[in-house]
Amino acid sequence: MKPPILIIIMATIMTGTMIVMLSSHWLLIWIGFEMNMLAIIPILMKKYNPRAMEASTKYFLTQATASMLLMMGVTINLLYSGQWVVSKISNPIASIMMTTALTMKLGLSPFHFWVPEVTQGITLMSGMILLTWQKIAPMSILYQISPSINTNLLMLMALTSVLVGGWGGLNQTQLRKIMAYSSIAHMGWMAAIITYNPTMMVLNLTLYILMTLSTFMLFMLNSSTTTLSLSHMWNKFPLITSMILILMLSLGGLPPLSGFIPKWMIIQELTKNNMIIIPTLMAITALLNLYFYLRLTYSTALTMFPSTNNMKMKWQFEYTKKATLLPPLIITSTMLLPLTPMLSVLD
Amino acid sequence: MMTYIVFILSIVFVMSFVGFATKPSPIYGGLVLIISGGIGCAIVLNFGGSFLGLMVFLIYLGGMLVVFGYTTAMATEQYPEVWVSNKAVLAAFITGLLSELLTACYVLKDDEVEVVLKFNGMGDWVIYDTGDSGFFSEEAMGIAALYSYGTWLVVVTGWSLLIGVLVIMEVTRGN
Repeated sequence: MKPPILIIIMATIMTGTMIVMLSSHWLLIWIGFEMNMLAIIPILMKKYNPRAMEASTKYFLTQATASMLLMMGVTINLLYSGQWVVSKISNPIASIMMTTALTMKLGLSPFHFWVPEVTQGITLMSGMILLTWQKIAPMSILYQISPSINTNLLMLMALTSVLVGGWGGLNQTQLRKIMAYSSIAHMGWMAAIITYNPTMMVLNLTLYILMTLSTFMLFMLNSSTTTLSLSHMWNKFPLITSMILILMLSLGGLPPLSGFIPKWMIIQELTKNNMIIIPTLMAITALLNLYFYLRLTYSTALTMFPSTNNMKMKWQFEYTKKATLLPPLIITSTMLLPLTPMLSVLD
Repeated sequence: MMTYIVFILSIVFVMSFVGFATKPSPIYGGLVLIISGGIGCAIVLNFGGSFLGLMVFLIYLGGMLVVFGYTTAMATEQYPEVWVSNKAVLAAFITGLLSELLTACYVLKDDEVEVVLKFNGMGDWVIYDTGDSGFFSEEAMGIAALYSYGTWLVVVTGWSLLIGVLVIMEVTRGN
């Protein structure tokens, strides 16, 4: 893509999300969503093979349907409340429609079917943008309407998303599909806590974005898209292999890494609201997620395939792939747990 | 003639619809769509919707159809199909024109048409008339407000339209 067009399209993706986050008028929010979706289609279609075109078509169809549902919810809200300001949605039909539309945009179950297929059909860089930046705008709107969201609906979606994200990722060897199911599961954790304490959702979103950015950048350094190519990394980039190990454990939510912070806080907030079974179920099914992260670390960092001695040290020129801001990203994705008491400033 | 202008225009409208409904190549379909859009605008103008008709020209023809023309020009083939190039298309075209002429004669004979329901004029199916509008056209006042209070909205929607065109071009270009 020619550089001026790429700059304009990237600027529009950012502008669309900014308009969604900063608007108080529902029409502008819808316009922001549409602008964002239109501008990301050429990014998804960077390579002109049929797989990428199919992926961007699927993305476009689901996101356009979700925008239409959102518009319908906005119109019903206008009918019953007479105003366009983003505030408490008093009509339950409008609230349910908006929630459904926003969860469709996020890829929560039962609207999760597009996430693995779209993520698999596009390049690693586009997948990174899809799974991190594109989650910010719907989450910000869910945050803004959080007092009026139907808890039962969202909790059901969250629970099934955690289950789907765990079970769906078990049989995958393609890294992009694994990250897609990881995204579904993490979105489920975020959705569970919105109606109780939206701040924890923001915390989870921030840490999830940091961890996913680091993971994708490490994958992009080696241009690896399968578990097999990841397992050949030990003689090329031994340090990156260790980073993948701690990053995967952090994604799985193991203490003492920072991936544990959101899970801990979410379980704490849920139990403060007298819910015992649901956080237990969510914590147990997070183990399924941990299993396939562990499988990745096992084949990447903990195992070496039998090889002759002269393969143990691979000669290469110094690699020139740029990993933007990788050290701070890895540090924030793994070492933030001791800072958790800072959350007491929220009280 | 002026008393029957809406009738004549609507007959030509349907005939130009026949022109693209017989599926020549998209380039020629777009050409006929421009003509039918212009005639539809004239029909709306005759019912008093001056602003709405101009909007049809500006937005529909000048915006959407122009983008359609660009993308079709990028994706067209070397010898596109015309109405007279293919026997099937020609037959459908002539059938459509003849049916329209027959319907027009039927109407002219009786002064009304009853196919499913009685239909003798379009009336206020075309222009939404609220009745009490004051001295100023509400539509023009709305556009004035858009450009004065709603500057940000103009910027955002203008940028969205530009991005729409750029994205469509980028996606259709394909290499």
